[in-house]
Formats: sequence, structure tokens, C-alpha cells
Amino acid sequence: MECVVQGIIETQHVEALEILLQGLCGVHRKSLKIHELCLKSGPNLGTSPSEVRLLCDLEQSEPAWRVRHVGGAMRGAGAEQISVNVRTMVESKVSNNVLRLFYALGYKLDHEQLRVGFSFNFQRGAQMTVTVSSVNKMLRLHATDEAVPITPGIQLVEVTAPATSENYSKVAAAMSSFCEYLAPLLHLSKPGVSTGVVPTAAAAAASLMSDGGGTTL
Amino acid sequence: MPVKWVLHWQPNAGTTVNSQILTEVSQCAESINGIKGGRWKATLNFYRPMLKEQVNPVEFPRDFLGISLQEQPSKYYFVIRGQRIVLEADSNIQSIMEKLQSYKSRVALNFEGFQYQIGDFQLRVGKVVPVHSESLRGIVMEMDYLPISSWEKSHQIMAEFYDIWQEALQKRSLPGHFARMEPNFGEYGLGDQYTLPHTAVQYASIMLQMIATAQSVRN
Repeated sequence: MECVVQGIIETQHVEALEILLQGLCGVHRKSLKIHELCLKSGPNLGTSPSEVRLLCDLEQSEPAWRVRHVGGAMRGAGAEQISVNVRTMVESKVSNNVLRLFYALGYKLDHEQLRVGFSFNFQRGAQMTVTVSSVNKMLRLHATDEAVPITPGIQLVEVTAPATSENYSKVAAAMSSFCEYLAPLLHLSKPGVSTGVVPTAAAAAASLMSDGGGTTL
Repeated sequence: MPVKWVLHWQPNAGTTVNSQILTEVSQCAESINGIKGGRWKATLNFYRPMLKEQVNPVEFPRDFLGISLQEQPSKYYFVIRGQRIVLEADSNIQSIMEKLQSYKSRVALNFEGFQYQIGDFQLRVGKVVPVHSESLRGIVMEMDYLPISSWEKSHQIMAEFYDIWQEALQKRSLPGHFARMEPNFGEYGLGDQYTLPHTAVQYASIMLQMIATAQSVRN
């Protein structure tokens, strides 16, 4: 399982966000370049349609592949009350012929994208990862060199943390409180709940840029 | 890692495998000064597509296997022999397969037995049994030559040891022999340096051979 929230930020404020995250997390950013292929089951395969994501980390010297399955978000009164999504997520490292395997099994490529940006991984009440990336589409199949932004000028911010059925409310609370620190720059919410950019972003970014993140927002 | 040959018991025409043969084979390993070591185990799953309606099944692989090996329990191997694919994955890929609900493990087999050390060689002799049953479906043997990891370079010494083994076994006049398959590893994208995916491919090959033998006996 994992807890997750998402938000968007204008590219012009990303540098300020990076300064803020650097200050909050106390770790260095990691560059991120991930080719993501979303596959869906063919029409007759499976009791119900299924979807799986193949992620290829292009930052490594040798491309490293993972298979990710994201389940539905937890529902019910308890889930309504917390401000993050709690969902099942399983990820498995695999060899580089994984796309061939899934094609052979009857899965089809639904879409692919390239995420370019950076991430911070840190411990703050829970082990959290913040990724800030521009999402790009490929003009030709698998042509990651020719990717163009899907939403120019806007980047996606995602905060995730591994959780279990025992500790998810504690993890969700830690994540919510972390998100408060980012609030002047961006608003983070459950995936699918669009909240847009925040009006205070420009002022907050200007303040961060002028003093390198030393001021408490 | 050391090269390994995976062999399976090929019963003579008209005979079937039984536990007496397994006992004799184990005794044979000891008779050539094999030092009995610990237990070993591998597991193999046959996956079948879960189809919504009656569709042409040739669209989907009929020989999709999942294999876990004692050497690396944190890994899992998928083999589709028809398309010469072997995939290495973290063992939690099995939980992804369960969640996808597109393929289901129909049959699971255990390969289990004892290992024997004979100088630089290691033999593993084991029974093939369904996971929830004790009915013997076959006998399998792994033969390792520990000092060499090149498939090509080890070929001669492996072949010589295989001959010695066959000779020792012949004295017992058992109704069959250990047959070997030599898959074309290159077709799977595997090189000369031996790796666990090589072992997975060998298991897939002998498994399909064992099924073919069982079917020909039945017909």
C-alpha cells in the first residue's frame, strides 16, 4: 500500500520549490527521467480489464525496468476523512524484456510518457518521496529523445509514502502535515481532485528565491 | 555462477515413474561417493489465461510458466517457451499477476529432494510432485560443475560426468534413463556465462518434455 497526493506548479516556480524542499528534507535531489508505458489487457483477456505500468529508469547507466500495479483507492467513511489517497501498489524489478513478455501475454500499449524532473526521498514522520516532473508525450513510438511536454509550463508534483493497513493513518497524517509546508507554493490533494495552481505561488517563490529558503513561510 | 544441466527421467516405453526408481537413483548418487547434503526445492507454476468468453486460445501463450529457484528465492522467473522469452523479476511479481486477474496458476509443481557433492560436481536428485499432493509425476536431476561458469567451456567435462553417471545407473537396470535437453539459450537472449535464467529455461524445456511423455503414455 501507499499514500499519495498530487498537485501542479508552474515551471517558473519549480526552482523555488526545489529550494524549499532542499531546506525541508535536508537531502540532495535526485535527477529523474522515467519512461512510463501504460499497458491494458486485450479485449478478451481477464475477468475484467486490467492495467499495468512498465517504468524504465533512464537515469541509470543501464536502463532499469520495473512493473507497477496500482490498485483502487481505499473507500468508505474512514478514507473520506483523510486528505490523502490510500491505495494498493506493488512494484517489482524486472529484466529489460518485460515489454515483450506483456505483449506476448496479450497486453496492448495504451499510452506512454516520459517524466523528467527530480525527486527527494527523506524521512519525516514517514518515509516519503516527492517527485517534481514535467510529463512529456512521444511523437513517435518509444522516441524518448523527441518527447514534448503535454502541459507546457506546468509540472506535476507527487508525494508518496509506503504504508501498511496498520500504519496508513499515521503515514497519512505525516504526509498532510508535510504538505502544509508546501501550501504557499502549491496545493496537494488526492489524485483526480484537481485544485489548480495557488494564487500565493508567485509571492512565495519570490521570497524563497531572494533568501535561499531561509525564511519560514 | 556454476553451470548446471537439468535432466529429467525418461521412462522406457510402456513404463512409468515410481518411487522405487527415485530411491535407486539416490543410492546411485551415494555409490559414486556422493556426499549427501541438505535438501533443495524448486517450484513451477503453469499459468493459463482467464478468458471472458470462448475465444481463439491461440492468441494467448499455452506454455507460460513461472519458476522459483532455491538459489535466489527473492527472484521469480517467467518463461514463454513458444516465443523464447525468459523474464527475471522480483518474487513479488506473483502478487502483481494475482491482482491483474488475467492469468491464473492452474497447476503448481514442487521439485524437491537432496543434494550430493562429488568432488567439484554437485548433484541434486528430486521428485516432481503437485504442491498439494504426494503423487509422483517425475524425477528431475540437476548436475552442477562448480568451478566453471561458461556453458561452452564446461561442455566436455559435463558430458564426461554425464556418461559416468549414466554408466553407474545402467548397472541398476532401471526402466529408463536421464534425458537431457539442450535449449538454444541464444534464442532467449542468454549468453555463454551461466545465469539463473538459464536454469529457468532448462526447467521449462524438461517440463514440456515430461508433459509430452505423459501424454504419449496416456494415448
